[in-house]
Amino acid sequence: MPSPDGDARSDGAICVDPSSAHESPVADGAGEAAVRLRNAAFGYASRARVARLNLEIEPGSAVALIGPNGSGKSTLLRGILGLAERVEGEVEVLGTSPARARRRTGTLPQADTRETELPVTVRQVVRMGLYRELGALRPLGRTGRDAVDAAIERVGLAAFAQRRFGELSGGQQQRAILARALVANPQLLLLDEPFNGLDRENRDTLLTLVAELREEGRTVIVSTHDLEIAQRACTHALLLSAGHHPEEPGHPAAYGPLDSALTLEAVEHAFQDATVELDHHTVTTTRETE
Amino acid sequence: MDYTLVEVFSLPFMARALATVVVLALAAGVVGLGISFRELEFVSDGLVHAVFPGLVIGAAVGGSAGLLPGAVGAALIAAVLFTVLGRRTNGGGNDVAIAVVLTGLFSLGVVLVSQQHSYVSQLQALLFGHLLTVTPEQFWQIVVVAVLAVGIMLLTLRAQLFRAFDPVGFAAAGFRPLATDLALAAATALLTVAGVQALGVLMVVALLTVPMAVARLLTRRFALLIPIAVLVPLAAGSLGLWWSFAWSVDTGGTVSAGAVVVLLLVAAYGIAVLWRLAGRALARLGGGADAGAARSGAATGGGAR
Repeated sequence: MPSPDGDARSDGAICVDPSSAHESPVADGAGEAAVRLRNAAFGYASRARVARLNLEIEPGSAVALIGPNGSGKSTLLRGILGLAERVEGEVEVLGTSPARARRRTGTLPQADTRETELPVTVRQVVRMGLYRELGALRPLGRTGRDAVDAAIERVGLAAFAQRRFGELSGGQQQRAILARALVANPQLLLLDEPFNGLDRENRDTLLTLVAELREEGRTVIVSTHDLEIAQRACTHALLLSAGHHPEEPGHPAAYGPLDSALTLEAVEHAFQDATVELDHHTVTTTRETE
Repeated sequence: MDYTLVEVFSLPFMARALATVVVLALAAGVVGLGISFRELEFVSDGLVHAVFPGLVIGAAVGGSAGLLPGAVGAALIAAVLFTVLGRRTNGGGNDVAIAVVLTGLFSLGVVLVSQQHSYVSQLQALLFGHLLTVTPEQFWQIVVVAVLAVGIMLLTLRAQLFRAFDPVGFAAAGFRPLATDLALAAATALLTVAGVQALGVLMVVALLTVPMAVARLLTRRFALLIPIAVLVPLAAGSLGLWWSFAWSVDTGGTVSAGAVVVLLLVAAYGIAVLWRLAGRALARLGGGADAGAARSGAATGGGAR
């Protein structure tokens, strides 16, 4: 399987399990992990939705978080942010607790969480990304204004900066939210299903941006149903499988560099009763029976 | 009407009523932004009704000096209660629970006030307010409470805006949604307390909700929302006071100034609705094709590809 850039990358790694660190291409002493999970489980009301997570994500990796509905992709992202309950295990993000790491983390939540009727412009939306840093009263200042303009420019919305957010197309809205995530110069980016409902052009733009962010040394974790996205923009893949019954949490089916993790077998294991495309092959998987 | 604005408002009690309207208009413009953006109009109504038993208990315990503490206490308790109820339903507000609390507290207020000797006059004053007979002491109480409400809103304005626009992104950015919600509820509760003595329990909700609703109908520019939401109750308040004074003198009766002010606010809302509808009709008839093309271009053109 080809990597997004057509060759095997070695600038980041998911160390699958502490006991199998030799699988990491950068096991020779790279800096602190962007995300480190030790037997972690995340959920709500003390009930795990995703469990058995043992991995280290090295800085500069772009990780595709792949799995069917109910496998716990969004819960895992929320767990990394400290918003989902850590039911068990250990979590370290950017060398500290998830809550402390939020200031250095940018997020692109799922598209249905925004109130598009509010009369806020694209520029105002992007400014929101600096509110945490600015606090209640500190003015934006020239530095802040420049950062906002640069983020808008970067996602290609300079011509739309004064446009009302609700007037933009779905893809443009996603790009505006990505600009909001980027404006505070985060080290870690969490993108939750950013490609849902996008046309080809907006999709390509986002893919290019993800690849650029990774090349700048930022760590990107992107949840998606779409395997093509993983192949084009990511260095690594974490496949999550849904539990066999509703009470059973989702769990990792495969993880590691893209070419070793994103295999037909792993996809078949993660996606049960689904038809997916991989390497120009259409695969129809069947539900596993115990 | 033979009385000019200057003549009417040179009378001390009318000047004080106008000053009260100015203070309430400024506060309503700022706090109303949070109420409107978070769609908390019904919760505001619940808060207003919750204030009623607080007013009654305050009056029973401390006379007119007890009104404000009673109202503030009841409003803040209700604000916390409604915020927690709203969060338990993912922030969407629990309409049934609020409706039950609202009617329950209002009934409690009526039962309590009916125990008083001057039941009818007290009930009337609490329900309909007494804009023309605001005392200097009450005026300064209103100023202090309104300043507190505006202060809370301004200190949390950025957070309120972010929370209203994208609650998930807001929490992910490290903000505390509960603190932000409580701040907005407290600001709304304080504005309610500020307005309730002037406009009464039944009409103060108009002050909380109508000015920003009118502003949102008249403009889509964020920067103009608060100025319009301040000007609307200012104009309705000034005109309402003037007209109610003149009509009362002309007819020899007493026209409720608060009721006239609220009627004018509602009229402003009606005009704003018509304005919006007319704008849409014109866009469809005249520039419909051009506007459609422009919208289409905006949706697909420009930006990085």
